[in-house]
Amino acid sequence: MNKPLLEVRGLSKRFAIGSRFSSEGRRIVHAVDNVSLTVEHGETLGLVGESGCGKSTLGRSIVRLYDLTGGQLLFDGQDIGTRSLKALRPLRPRMQMVFQDPSASLNPRRRVGDLVAEPLRLHSRMSRAEIRTRVAELFKLVGLLPDQIERYPHEFSGGQRQRVGIARAIALNPDLVVLDEPVSALDVSVQAQIVNLLADLQEKLGLTYIFIAHDLSVVRQVSSRIAVMYLGSIVEEGPAEALMAAPAHPYSQALISAVPVVTTDAGGARRQRILLAGDVPSPLAPPSGCRFHPRCPVAQDRCRTDRPELRPHGPGRRVACHFPVTEPG
Amino acid sequence: MILSVRDLTVTFRTEEGPVRAIDGVSFDVAEGEILGVVGESGSGKTVSLLAVMGLITDPNAIIGGSIRYRGTELVGLPARALRKLRGAEIAMIFQDPMTALTPVYTIGWQIAEQIRAHQKISARAAMDRAEELLAEVNFPNPREALSRYPHQLSGGMRQRAVIAMALSCNPALLVADEPTTALDVTVQAGILDLVRRLRDRHGSAVVFITHDMGVVSELADRVMVMYAGRIVEKGARSELFGDPLHPYTRALMGSIPPLTGERPRRLPAIPGSPPSLLRLPQGCSFAPRCPVRFEACEARPALPAGARAAACFRVEEFQS
Repeated sequence: MNKPLLEVRGLSKRFAIGSRFSSEGRRIVHAVDNVSLTVEHGETLGLVGESGCGKSTLGRSIVRLYDLTGGQLLFDGQDIGTRSLKALRPLRPRMQMVFQDPSASLNPRRRVGDLVAEPLRLHSRMSRAEIRTRVAELFKLVGLLPDQIERYPHEFSGGQRQRVGIARAIALNPDLVVLDEPVSALDVSVQAQIVNLLADLQEKLGLTYIFIAHDLSVVRQVSSRIAVMYLGSIVEEGPAEALMAAPAHPYSQALISAVPVVTTDAGGARRQRILLAGDVPSPLAPPSGCRFHPRCPVAQDRCRTDRPELRPHGPGRRVACHFPVTEPG
Repeated sequence: MILSVRDLTVTFRTEEGPVRAIDGVSFDVAEGEILGVVGESGSGKTVSLLAVMGLITDPNAIIGGSIRYRGTELVGLPARALRKLRGAEIAMIFQDPMTALTPVYTIGWQIAEQIRAHQKISARAAMDRAEELLAEVNFPNPREALSRYPHQLSGGMRQRAVIAMALSCNPALLVADEPTTALDVTVQAGILDLVRRLRDRHGSAVVFITHDMGVVSELADRVMVMYAGRIVEKGARSELFGDPLHPYTRALMGSIPPLTGERPRRLPAIPGSPPSLLRLPQGCSFAPRCPVRFEACEARPALPAGARAAACFRVEEFQS
């Protein structure tokens, strides 16, 4: 068996917030807490969870936009978790990122062709002419017109700007692209275009994606596997369709049941929803035991003290729960 | 009818010429019904409801048509009279709860003030009523929440506080503009539940604006779909989603990835993006993106009267 493209072992990321002089003093947020996962070549791992669950922090830690607090990060067999920024530089072209808001990640004062050329100028030894050819090629690849190369970002619609962001990310033929909510800011009718584009590019270029989003139906559409996060940890992981059809963790179950869907049947039977009590607890003071237990509909005494580990639960699936809501199978 | 809107137009004077944000929109809301308004950005769903609430204060806006609330014409009504109606009978909640909350007063103070602005009761009684309202919108600890400031609450809790404020005067009509868009799905589920309960318990009519067809499908009794400043389709929820007539509605529904069942290899996407209101096509505004357009689409299709209708020349062909 081939070795995985990415292996994350016990990754943690903590942030210190507040100053020593504030009333509460300096406090520690456990944004990502002991996460382990692997990503195989050519697959798409979907990371889902609600705001504050740590999915974006995990994504950014994986491409080392953050320094890790703990754990190991193996990219193509090489340990990159503790490398200095300088030592990381040769690997940068191989892992790229696409952000949610393309208008915020594109410099408004530069032409989009220039923005797409930037990674090529920084990381390749291409001549000017070669870069120009490559930019034209990239524009075609992401469905933009050649005469748009000289335009500025504000002249583009949201969907087109996201295409520019994608062109920039794939310019250096990366192996891994981390997509952080790439379609969340787009209109529904435009979302589908970008989702299709990402699928096409993956097929053509053999890309590996980590797709971070809160929209479960979009994640299900693009992912081969899905990992559900809650308060900094993965609570469940498995093949996209199987996990969505029969979630094993009570949190995944509640999350999936809360997604409003269009009912096309004329009778319009509303789906049974599991309403969770209360809010997501603050990651400053996570609950004891299983972090989901204060809101969990099936919590028992053991869940209050004993934190469940992510354990195998049927083929290709893992769940961190003492009392999974489905039988492994 | 609690609300009757006829031929509403909203035009903004801009440097690049007049922009018609709302173009001849007519609809009714019956007492106690939930009307869902769906559309993408720029479809005019928000502007039309702001016009209804008399909240378009831009001096460059020209509002035409008629808006009747329980028989009273709202277009041209003095600001004072309109203000009395808002809050007391018509309440509104927005996407960002902070637009309705001030950061410098406690939640309890803000709700009590809202109550006292429209009812003659003592400060003490208003505070007690505020606590009841917070309990009604499922605050886990309403007494304690009274003394909290907005920044101490989560987004979902803030939106609940705003709903409590909206409920304070038992509004006959609640206008909700994307109130759950910024919230997580599990929190959204709770808010939608609350809106439904408000209607069931108090008999309030609700106009719910959203871009999310799933939300509308779970909440609304009747639905209207807007595109580029016009209503393109309307109907009862089950009819509209069970058998969408307008190509835009059909395409929009098709472009949402399914949550269950087979995954399509590619999503049936709509080409292009919603048109700029500055450069609207001559005829049907959806024509440039429409898979079934033909010559007739160079003229503008009207929305037929009646409860179930679509503004498309080819509707009959799609009717099953």
